[in-house]
Amino acid sequence: MSLQAPLWRSIAAFRFASLGYAAILLLIRRDNYGHWGYAWAVLGGMIAWTFASTILYSVPARRTRPVLAVDLFITMTAVLSTAVLQYPQSTSAGVMPITATWLAGPALAWAVVGGARVGAVAAILIGSCVVLLRHQRLTALYQSTALDGPVILLMAAVLVGYISTLTARAERALQHATELEAASRERERLARSIHDSVLQVLAMVQRRGAEAGGAAAEIGRLAGEQEAALRALVTGDGQVLSPIGELDLSVILAREAAADVSVVTPAEPVLLAKRTAEETAAAVRAAIDNVRRHCGDAGKAWVLVDDEGAEVSVTVRDDGPGMPSDRLAEAAAEGRLGVAQAICGRIRDLGGLADISSTPGVGTEVKLRVPRSGQSA
Amino acid sequence: MVTPVDPPAIRVMVVDDHPMWRDAVSRDLGDAGFEVVAALGEGTQAMHVASAVRPDVVVLDLQLPDVSGVDVTRGLLVAYPSAHVLVLSASGEHRDVLNAVKAGAAGYILKSASRAELLAAVRRAAAGEPVFSPGLAGLVLGEFRRLAASPTPDTPQLTDRETEILQMVGTGLSYKQIADRLVLSHRTVQNHVQNTLAKLQLHNRVDLVRYAIEHGLSSDRP
Repeated sequence: MSLQAPLWRSIAAFRFASLGYAAILLLIRRDNYGHWGYAWAVLGGMIAWTFASTILYSVPARRTRPVLAVDLFITMTAVLSTAVLQYPQSTSAGVMPITATWLAGPALAWAVVGGARVGAVAAILIGSCVVLLRHQRLTALYQSTALDGPVILLMAAVLVGYISTLTARAERALQHATELEAASRERERLARSIHDSVLQVLAMVQRRGAEAGGAAAEIGRLAGEQEAALRALVTGDGQVLSPIGELDLSVILAREAAADVSVVTPAEPVLLAKRTAEETAAAVRAAIDNVRRHCGDAGKAWVLVDDEGAEVSVTVRDDGPGMPSDRLAEAAAEGRLGVAQAICGRIRDLGGLADISSTPGVGTEVKLRVPRSGQSA
Repeated sequence: MVTPVDPPAIRVMVVDDHPMWRDAVSRDLGDAGFEVVAALGEGTQAMHVASAVRPDVVVLDLQLPDVSGVDVTRGLLVAYPSAHVLVLSASGEHRDVLNAVKAGAAGYILKSASRAELLAAVRRAAAGEPVFSPGLAGLVLGEFRRLAASPTPDTPQLTDRETEILQMVGTGLSYKQIADRLVLSHRTVQNHVQNTLAKLQLHNRVDLVRYAIEHGLSSDRP
């Protein structure tokens, strides 16, 4: 249900109550009216329009500009008819027009539909008609009571218009929140159901595939990768920047995990400034690529993330053939800067240290240390 | 005449809410000569029957429909303290695994691990040894780092040697490789590793007791 519905119900109730008031006034103050019979005819029209407008306004789709215009026109006509129906001296002495307070209806309706400004326009138009009836000169007008009613009507219209704008805004916010909640609940439901079905099967395919060996092992490996990716997706691990612009290095590196690469991280997020996290991850990726290039299919790599507080260290170890310790310096000297540039250069730019140690026949170990502050050296 | 008797088979209870995994793990263990004394899908059931079926090892999936993995671990060890809990975990459940290990689990093994790795892990757990995979080393190391960031007088700390060894386990080195590198005995390396876990579990228990006393939950109150 719309939050504006109570406003429309209030306007309808106000119209009916005002109608009763106008009828009573007409009944007991017959002495003000030159054409008492015609006055009842006008009141009849007001009754008819009160019912008609209440029915029209009850459905949001029917609160259209033509309806609002007709509402204003009928009300203004009824107000102005007072000039003919009442004795002129009664009118100028300050007797209420035949509509009494019923005249406020369109101003409120315009305000609810269009906001404070639109409401004010309607209120000023209706108020002008009331003032017009008094036949007063402008110089006398501002001192008389003739302005009381129109000013109060203007205030009411502006206020209702303001409230209407607020409720519309609140309604949109509420709708947005409801949509978000529904989306996250749906995500949870999917995650639960995927966890209970697809993930279990993928994990089982991975396990059985690895046991069967050969082509099945490849299938198993693929199933395992998809299991990890799907799990990250449904548990919402899709890396989100923290409010102060930090990234969780563990989450970024977890994507590198594969059959031949184990990624070992703490349970708590390892938060680093965005650039530091991305550059460190790029250096780790370069180290892993290097392992794949030099160690062949049998090679395995382990990535250990250790959060030491002031700095974060990442160790990439492989069990490949290793290399003589002077090979790297040699490569750099010959201008083949691949590894050195991709790994050491990146880490040095972050103000950190990269240490590559290698023993032939044992493997290579790349240890990266980056400071938390992530400043350039 | 004395007839040689086989050592009694290792008694294993399998707790996993997914029938496919429960059956596969039970079958693998049965085929390898273990005695599967119960295969259940719910944590409360497992805690109920533990003392009756007396498992040496409980292979426990952390994602059970009724009770959290930590609570099942704790409940199982209260119900039947001689059991060793081996957590069978999917990838990416780091927090849950760490909490289960702190609550007394002997270690964890990923669901993606091979049959041989599973069997080896169950054997190791049955022998009362922690199942210290690289992943667990990373979690334990990370937990000590976290505790050290806001230390209190009784915060457990790693010695430099323990830190060094955990880092080596975390990068996939075996106890033997570590022993060779550090010129230590295999047994010494193993002791260091077990110590780190024991410190963490003790700290967890001390924390729980303190919490209980502070909140007036101790049983000797009227």
